[in-house]
Amino acid sequence: MPDTSAYYHAAYVLAGVLYGGYVLSLWWRARRWRK
Amino acid sequence: MTTVQAPAPTPVAAPGATRPIFDWLLVLAVLGVIGAGIRIVLFTPFEAKQGAAQKIYYIHVPAALSTYFALTVAACMSIVYRWLHDERADRLAESAGEVALLFATVVLTTGPIWGKPIWGAWWTWDARLTLTLFLWFVTAAYLVLRGAVDDHAMRARYSAVLAILATLLIPFIHLSVYLFRTLHPMPIVLKPERPSLPAEMLTTFLLSVGAFAFFAAALMRARYRLALLREQAEAA
Repeated sequence: MPDTSAYYHAAYVLAGVLYGGYVLSLWWRARRWRK
Repeated sequence: MTTVQAPAPTPVAAPGATRPIFDWLLVLAVLGVIGAGIRIVLFTPFEAKQGAAQKIYYIHVPAALSTYFALTVAACMSIVYRWLHDERADRLAESAGEVALLFATVVLTTGPIWGKPIWGAWWTWDARLTLTLFLWFVTAAYLVLRGAVDDHAMRARYSAVLAILATLLIPFIHLSVYLFRTLHPMPIVLKPERPSLPAEMLTTFLLSVGAFAFFAAALMRARYRLALLREQAEAA
């Protein structure tokens, strides 16, 4: 079996960053509009 | 002479504007995605030929299906807006469009990371990849258009047409692997015949599809509430 774990980890970390970043942007925009 | 000053008008909140952006539904959806992640990482076997990179499949394809789901919501709500001129439909279309762009971004970034070890290239201009990139640009244009037009009715009308047109790309993207000679693999689950995945992998895939679709719906609801909050702030 080829060792492709670096790509696997990179994809999951990147997806986590994108989803987490979007949730954070929702929170930040809500905070700004509440002010 | 005494003067009586009229009391200042009390600001009236738009219905639902005071509801929290993040609530139990989003928490439940995040827990669902984490649960699917645990099953993918700990309880799903590695594929023999591709190794660990094959597990990118469990986030790449559900993200693509969630993009289609969110764009279909945006198109349906755009049709409802064109028909009934209901502000809620326009607001939901905007929310779904933004969530669709997020999921499409995940598709277009996880895809090349999977492609590199398997195809030997990060990107190839085949029909499936190019059409998906085109869908990303049209969805981004939809959001840019919404931000660029000040007149509310005009913005809702123009963007509704763009959302409907963007959604028309979905069947072409899905069928592109049949219509053209592409490097992208054929569907192994969403096809007329029985799925070609082993039972363990198929269960993980279906759980992941459900978790991501639920997450997309929860994000759309949170984004809808943010739109309400923005309208309230702009009206104040």
